[in-house]
Amino acid sequence: MRLRPLLLLCLLTAPLLRAQDAALKDTFAQAKALWATQGDRVDATARFEQVLDALAPKAATLDPAWTDILCQTYNWLAVLDDRNPATKARATTRLQALIDLNPDFDVDRTLTSQRLTGIFDRLKAAKLAQVKLTCVPEGGQLQVDGKPAVLLARKFLPFGPHTLTYIHPGYAPATVSVDLGPQDVKPVPFTLTRTSSTVTIYVQPSGAEVFLDGRPLGRTQGQAGPEALAIAVPMGLRPEDLSAGFVLDGLKPGKHDLELRAPCYRPKRLALDPSFATPFADHVLEPIRLEPSRATLTVTSAWPGGELFLSGEDRGPLPAKALQVCAGAYDLAVRFPSGGYTQAITLAEGGSLALEVKPKPRLAFLGLDGSQDFPGRDRIQGLLAGLGPRLKHLAFQTARPGETPQAALTRLKAAHDAELFLLATPVPGPAIHEVELQLSTPEGETERLIVKPLEDDPLGNLIARLNAHPTLIEPSLGATLLDLPGIPGPWVLSATEAVQKAGLKLHEPILQVDGQAVADRAALHRLLEATNHGSVRVLQPDGPPVDLPILREPLELPLASPRFAYPAVLAQLRLQALGARGDAANLLKLEIGLALMHFRDYDRAIEELRDAHLGTAPGIGQGTLDYETGRCFMGLGLAYRTEALQAFRDALKYPQATLFGPDGPRVAPLAQQSLEDLK
Amino acid sequence: MSAAFPWHRPAAILLLAALAAPAQDVGLAERLYYSGERAYAAKSYPEALGTWQQLLQAAPLSPYAPRALLRMAHYQAEVAHQPAAALALLDRLKADYLKSPVAADGLLLRGTLLAAQAHRPADLQEAMAEFHRVVDLFPDTPAAAGAHEGLGQAYRDQGQWGPALQHFIEAYRLHPEGPLAARALLEAGETLDLMGDLPGCLRLLQRVRSTFPKSPLAAEAAWRMAVRVKLRLLHPPFRLQGPWPEGRQKWLKTPTLLASDPAGALFLYQNSLDQASRLVDGALSPVGASVSGARVLVPTPSDDLWILTRNSLVKDAGNPTPLGALNAITGARLDRWGTLWVVDSKTPAITLFPADGAPRTLPAPMAVALAPLPTGGVALASDTDRSLHFLDAEGQPHQSVPYGKGLPAPFKYVLALASDPVGDVAALVDGGDYGEGVVVYGPDGTVLRQTTLKALGLSGRFTSLVLDHSGGVILCDRRNDTLYRLD
Repeated sequence: MRLRPLLLLCLLTAPLLRAQDAALKDTFAQAKALWATQGDRVDATARFEQVLDALAPKAATLDPAWTDILCQTYNWLAVLDDRNPATKARATTRLQALIDLNPDFDVDRTLTSQRLTGIFDRLKAAKLAQVKLTCVPEGGQLQVDGKPAVLLARKFLPFGPHTLTYIHPGYAPATVSVDLGPQDVKPVPFTLTRTSSTVTIYVQPSGAEVFLDGRPLGRTQGQAGPEALAIAVPMGLRPEDLSAGFVLDGLKPGKHDLELRAPCYRPKRLALDPSFATPFADHVLEPIRLEPSRATLTVTSAWPGGELFLSGEDRGPLPAKALQVCAGAYDLAVRFPSGGYTQAITLAEGGSLALEVKPKPRLAFLGLDGSQDFPGRDRIQGLLAGLGPRLKHLAFQTARPGETPQAALTRLKAAHDAELFLLATPVPGPAIHEVELQLSTPEGETERLIVKPLEDDPLGNLIARLNAHPTLIEPSLGATLLDLPGIPGPWVLSATEAVQKAGLKLHEPILQVDGQAVADRAALHRLLEATNHGSVRVLQPDGPPVDLPILREPLELPLASPRFAYPAVLAQLRLQALGARGDAANLLKLEIGLALMHFRDYDRAIEELRDAHLGTAPGIGQGTLDYETGRCFMGLGLAYRTEALQAFRDALKYPQATLFGPDGPRVAPLAQQSLEDLK
Repeated sequence: MSAAFPWHRPAAILLLAALAAPAQDVGLAERLYYSGERAYAAKSYPEALGTWQQLLQAAPLSPYAPRALLRMAHYQAEVAHQPAAALALLDRLKADYLKSPVAADGLLLRGTLLAAQAHRPADLQEAMAEFHRVVDLFPDTPAAAGAHEGLGQAYRDQGQWGPALQHFIEAYRLHPEGPLAARALLEAGETLDLMGDLPGCLRLLQRVRSTFPKSPLAAEAAWRMAVRVKLRLLHPPFRLQGPWPEGRQKWLKTPTLLASDPAGALFLYQNSLDQASRLVDGALSPVGASVSGARVLVPTPSDDLWILTRNSLVKDAGNPTPLGALNAITGARLDRWGTLWVVDSKTPAITLFPADGAPRTLPAPMAVALAPLPTGGVALASDTDRSLHFLDAEGQPHQSVPYGKGLPAPFKYVLALASDPVGDVAALVDGGDYGEGVVVYGPDGTVLRQTTLKALGLSGRFTSLVLDHSGGVILCDRRNDTLYRLD
């Protein structure tokens, strides 16, 4: 980026330049004093030369004050040169440079000799003619040949045709054409016609956007000068607290709405009644103060290492407590060492928002590969780039503007800045009607999906899959329940010893849970899901209520389900595993192993499974883990036959272990069959 | 977005195939293919087949050629019912287009057709090889799940429950949603029951209900679960529900035989009319020709009813076919291979009449009744040795239950046997101290429910019975021309 070092250079050199300006003015003053009070021509000339050397190279860009100093310098040097025979000839050159720099500048006739003044007048008359301007009303702006010019009563212009335009807010501009020749002194009168009112506003803070009747007019800028003193003081302000006057020009008869907006300030609307425009006149409003508009934001996370960004601006590490920010809309992002969190937030003025965030896998849309055009290209690209708000469990980001998909992939992989990548590639053919979406993890687990750019919602299915979250834990009463036709409630087929001891009767239905009737297993499940305490009171026919604890039973991740995008599932599991400990961590290893089995990545699945240890309770447990490990070894081929046999033998040690979930098939007969297959 | 299984991993096969063929051929082939599809959808089958044939000739290298072949094979298999013609097309698909994305579906269809054609367990080998090929070559395609299901069925038909269970579970794991998954899960549950794991069976049937509540298989799972719970776990005492359908008395003409098909449809034979009928919503509709002296009704998978007389078989409306030397037929069943098993009260054997070969016999006690079992075997009652025999699919006895075992008193005769699709067997018995009654046995020969007709207050002349899908028993009383239901 070239701008950045340039900006840095400007910032570093600005104080230096200001110091140089002061020194140059001092040199200029010393030069004048040396000649005027001491008659030291040599030193005075040397100092004027210093000023000239500093200003002449940038004469075209000098502001009016420095231009005037440069003009005076030429004048002084011409006078000094003229007094020294050795430099006398150079005096004329100085005067010519002065005329070229500012044709309207007149030499100091008290300082300059009559002879030299005559030379100056002759030089000027050789190229320039004079116009005498009269302007009614005064205080407007002059343009000469379409360019802004300093408005003076007398102006010198080169020979030839010129167009002079006089502009004043509230008046119709007037234009006069003149053709100037040698010795001409032409009067140019401007009398403008009033066409509207003007309103001048001074705003605190400067930089506010100004809208009149909804139309943007620009921003207030700078600082007010002494002219605003009279209106600033009564409000306890200084003129420099206000912006420079901003003139609302062209105010036609009728009511007008004035609106001022500034970041971090409450927008202000003012109604300008018809009296401002009837009759036409110039008005100055009282200073307008915008009220600050702020909100409080708190962002915390149980995950370490988060860093908060608000609309791209780094706001420091988490926790961010009671952060004072401008009210308004933001793209909130938290970057974690792995994963991220994004959310579009709107902070109401005076309001507060507290977020407890946890890292989500970051999905990076790398772009649409290739530049070949096809029907629907812009549509599909736009839909993909706008995927973020439709994703529930993923933080979304896109490649940088102009970045190729490959470059984005390389950058994001190197920086570990994404857990998922999405690349779109047109499917080649006589005509392109399909786009392949490739969803992959940095580790390489990939799934592809074909979409048609012109179909109704090409990304609907992808989004549904990305948003689908497999259920890996379900609440349970520790009993196997059946829905039997004609039985009023889930029927207890079997239960753990503890649950039977607690009083749950086998071969009877459950009629009520916490006083609510349960028609079937699904209704019971919903009740357990909704319960926020650890146990429920269960009622069966002809018996007292029984208090049973709610168990959290693990489920196996289903493989090959079209409901899930498995790279996203895997990314989510890996992220969860980073913060998991104990049983939860072991269970996540099993789930990650299963997700890898989905991709037939048996080597890495075994790496996950062999480090995990689960319990021996009925349901998903160590037997399940051993059985899945055996299947992975089988997937690796005969080389791992011995290990597969051992894994299946291990699985047989847990006769109560099941697949899928606590009510799935028992592992034992499947492990036994696998052993026989391997023999 | 593409349909049921939109994610795919090996993406480039179709593209490679498309690139291999000249672009203009692909364009023509595509148009021909979809022209055929249009005709097929309009049921203009000759036009569709002609168009696809043209495609195969004009652009045999295009990616649409194997798709056309597969569509033609489906037509032959499912519409024209010409499996041989379908297999010929699939052979070509397998030989010439094994790298095509539709090859997996082609091999799966081939395996399915071969399995359907099998007339004995050994015939399944080629079908199973085809299913294994799908699993090995195309493990990531939906067809792999279908192949596992095909393998599960083949192993189950061969009586190998362990591998059958394994493949049904694998089919479900590979395709955990959709009709195939529900079917695989239901089959896995049924296999567990065959393996003696009733709780495991019930858990999987419940899973079918919970996971696929709107599938027709959920209803199937529900009754299978309910019957098992009722008969094998709860054993409620029989009670007489009364005439069945409710309130219908003396409305038949000497009903002597009852039978039900696996879907639960009820057939009965009225001796005075010499006519078999199907009972639907309380109304009778005649089935097949008029047959006098029917002894056994055999519903077939093709929704027909075969009727056996004392010495012959009558199929559909055809003439009676003598069944060898048999002249006192008492029971029969049609197995999965199309073989008719027949027992005769004067022959100490089961006579097997295969669909495509000569009859053969299996040694067995002289039987007075026979009922099919989901294992592929049969239960037969022999008054000679006064035992109920459970035979496997090979006709080998694996269990015998003496008449009266598990009852308060023995009976002497079995008048009729019936079974349900989950393997329970009901016997209509008479004689001895027990007398006339109904006994329901589990697949392991345990008495699940029993009652004497006297205890129910029933009198008449009862000649046949069936087990319904609610665990009840329907009895046929020829004297009172009435059906009764026990629940």
